Amino acid sequence: MKVSFKLNGRPVEVDVEPNEILLDTLRLKLGVTSVKRGCERGECGVCTVLLDGEPAYSCLLLTAQVEGREVVTVEGLRGDELAEKIARSLVEQGAVQCGFCTPGFILTIYAGLKKGLIKNVEDAKKLIEGNLCRCTGYLKILKAVEKLLA
Amino acid sequence: MALEDPFSILEKYLSAEEYVVVGREFTRVDALDKALGRALFTEDYFIRYLQGNALFIKQVLSPHPHALIKAIHVDEAMGVAGVKAVVTHRDIPGVNQVGYALPDQPLLAERKVRYVGEVVALVAAESWEKAVEASQLVKVDYEPLPYVLDPLEAMSRTDILVHDEAGSNIAFKTRVRKGDVEKGFAEADVVVENEYRTHHQDHVYLETEAALAIPDSEGRITIIGAAQHPHLARDIAARVLGVPAGRVKVVVPYLGGGFGGKDDEGPLTISKAALVAYLTGRPAFIVYSREESIRIHPKREATIIRYKSGARRDGKLTAIDVTIIHDTGAYANRAPFILWRATMHASGPYEVPNARVDGYAVYTNKVYQGSFRGFGNPSIQFAVERQMDQLAEKLGLDPVEFRLMNILRPGSRTLTNQELDHSVGVGEALKKVAERSNWISKRREFDAFNKAEKRFKKGIGVGVAWHGISTSRGVPDWSNAVLKVEKDGSVVVFTGIVEMGQGSPTSSHVQIVSEILGVPPEMVRVVFGTSDAPDTGATHASRGTGIGGIGVEVAAGKIRERLARLAGDLLGVEPDKLVFREGRVYPRDNPERYIRWVDLVREAYARGVELSATGYFFLPKGKFDDTTGQGFAYPAFSYIVVVSEVEVDTETGVVRVTRVWPALASGRIISPLQVEGQVEGAVAQGLGYTLFEKLVFDERGGIVNADLTDYVIPTALDMPVVEKPIYVEDVYKYGALGAKGVGEMALIPLPASIANAVSHALGVNVTRLPLTPEYILQLEGVLRR
Repeated sequence: MKVSFKLNGRPVEVDVEPNEILLDTLRLKLGVTSVKRGCERGECGVCTVLLDGEPAYSCLLLTAQVEGREVVTVEGLRGDELAEKIARSLVEQGAVQCGFCTPGFILTIYAGLKKGLIKNVEDAKKLIEGNLCRCTGYLKILKAVEKLLA
Repeated sequence: MALEDPFSILEKYLSAEEYVVVGREFTRVDALDKALGRALFTEDYFIRYLQGNALFIKQVLSPHPHALIKAIHVDEAMGVAGVKAVVTHRDIPGVNQVGYALPDQPLLAERKVRYVGEVVALVAAESWEKAVEASQLVKVDYEPLPYVLDPLEAMSRTDILVHDEAGSNIAFKTRVRKGDVEKGFAEADVVVENEYRTHHQDHVYLETEAALAIPDSEGRITIIGAAQHPHLARDIAARVLGVPAGRVKVVVPYLGGGFGGKDDEGPLTISKAALVAYLTGRPAFIVYSREESIRIHPKREATIIRYKSGARRDGKLTAIDVTIIHDTGAYANRAPFILWRATMHASGPYEVPNARVDGYAVYTNKVYQGSFRGFGNPSIQFAVERQMDQLAEKLGLDPVEFRLMNILRPGSRTLTNQELDHSVGVGEALKKVAERSNWISKRREFDAFNKAEKRFKKGIGVGVAWHGISTSRGVPDWSNAVLKVEKDGSVVVFTGIVEMGQGSPTSSHVQIVSEILGVPPEMVRVVFGTSDAPDTGATHASRGTGIGGIGVEVAAGKIRERLARLAGDLLGVEPDKLVFREGRVYPRDNPERYIRWVDLVREAYARGVELSATGYFFLPKGKFDDTTGQGFAYPAFSYIVVVSEVEVDTETGVVRVTRVWPALASGRIISPLQVEGQVEGAVAQGLGYTLFEKLVFDERGGIVNADLTDYVIPTALDMPVVEKPIYVEDVYKYGALGAKGVGEMALIPLPASIANAVSHALGVNVTRLPLTPEYILQLEGVLRR
């Protein structure tokens, strides 16, 4: 079946299986490799995308569900001031180790900041609970957000 | 060329007056690419470059814990359109043997299967869907055998043998005999005896195992894959294929975490992809689903530790008597090395005059034991440190005070009677962290709080740990790197060390080169994780910087000697009076009389000064007697102390770790930011292990919780405050700039410190992990065991 949606600002049309998940469409058909495969059951958050501005697990979405909607990944935030600030802050605070989870964190934090949902570190902590990181212990990620709020 | 002697190079930079890059703020060179999603991991290479060309590999797993393989029928699977190969043990052109420590393990099951999840066959097809479909059509005739899951039962039975040819289920034994244990206990005024149990933990690296094998026209195979030692992966793949090692090349790209798991499983993943590529002549790609990853790859072992220890009224330890049993599972893998490490660390970092330690690695029909951050040490330090708290209590001493009475210091002899001549900063670390955490007043404050408060109880506990660096005994260990300076002055380093998040090649190695050659980090490129580099050993055992960095230091040191001689001639200055800094070389007393680095390099090229060097260094070691477990165990030890504060909800049994104070005595700190990252990450992983991460087995030894819904790892909400680490830079003379190693450290004493804190909070004796609410309620006497 054909599905049309907006990916990182430009319209795309892809031929997908009815049971195809957005994660596979993005990675395997559209070559969006910043979106990672981690658990394929909505637990780890490395496949996070922004769906109409909201963080969503692309492994839990059928591609057919995003018909007519807008999908954004970190590739689509190149040149975006806020996204670059977040990335720079994570880098400076040492919040990037293996980096496999980092694009997902950036998207979750980006959406949270954009919508004013992060007023302090406690807000950030709750917001990133759905993104797992096995390397950093999260503290430097939170510190990076704290620096952005300051 | 004495000036290029590695020992003199190491000595020279160990005692440098000042470091301008090392120990300072440094931004690792890979961070931005990773943050922006530009860094490529194994599966990304497949997607970018080989999709449409490569075959997909799907694994066929054993549903039985123990069964004979009578026949494997592949015809039906081969009949599925798009299926190019069904590979079983019969198709292996080389040797079907991948055991690291003992030759007990096939790549693909042969004759029998030994655990639920063992890999029996590989199906390769043009599409993922077809590979999955065909994998379900591979029919294996099994004859189920009786199986054994409990290590204590397995030890005492010979009617069920996991490995018939071994004649016993005990895969490996270790021992220490030091002094006179009976005499030691006779001298003791207090004795404490407990049985401790710890459990299986999964690594949960967020990137699962993957490999992409590409055959070329000259009969060589290149594999891009997730592993922690490219040369080992290459050697094992070559053995499986039956080709010389030089025909196989392994490149390990960025890894989405390793933690030891990819050191064990990596070479097997890579061999599977290589095998399919070799047999079909096509590129082949394998990736494990999360469920496959959890079912197949080795785990942190479950242990049973019986520990008896005694001390005199004056606070001195007199004897220990320890039995360590590791649930090794179906294959030995690295179990002998893990058990060996646990055994030789069984005293903790304390002086113990009399000791008897016996270790057993026991086969069972479960997923097997493997490398995991800490490598057998977290469980034994948990037992040691619980004992120390209880001895202190019986003696009426403060736990820190009692530890300090027995702590290793320069000149001390270890459990294996090895004399420690330098680099022993653990006592100072313990004193400093006790001070920083207000240990004494907190103990009192919490005691008072707990008397007044009914529901919530507070506790503070300490955990002290040591961790031998390098390989054990006289097992050879070395470092190496190739470094070359290009005509434009840029520097390229080749190392086999991999980048799995820890930042050795992307932070500390860059810093070492930048420090020694005085070139800005932007001019340094470290090519890592490739078997085309000289064998640098594995990126495990906290060795990526401390040992992996030696080769980088020595190679850079050699180049500097050559360029210093040349610059000395050009400037008319003694070479050792020159400073290499920020792209300039100048006499120490006259920075204005400089020659630019790029000009010096150009001169070197013009005058025939070779600007490539290898940094080979072979670690000096001593003798060890395996019959008594006495002698030289490790070249040096890295040390850490952590103090943990907890709050326990006595109604729900939930333990919350609120604050952790770490103190490291792990030699030179090359990159403080990355060291903090390792400490904080290890605290998270150790906290999960201590509080709730646990693999659960069904009655057939299958893993019940083989997904991230039921196997839960810590989130941001679980994290305590982790204070800035205290550093006691007790440099080790043969470490890279004196570094020993940090990666594993914080995970080792963390379970002990939390268990001690919970014991303090509740006034109970914690002897098991994890500290689930059920177990806490049992300890309180609310729930029956």
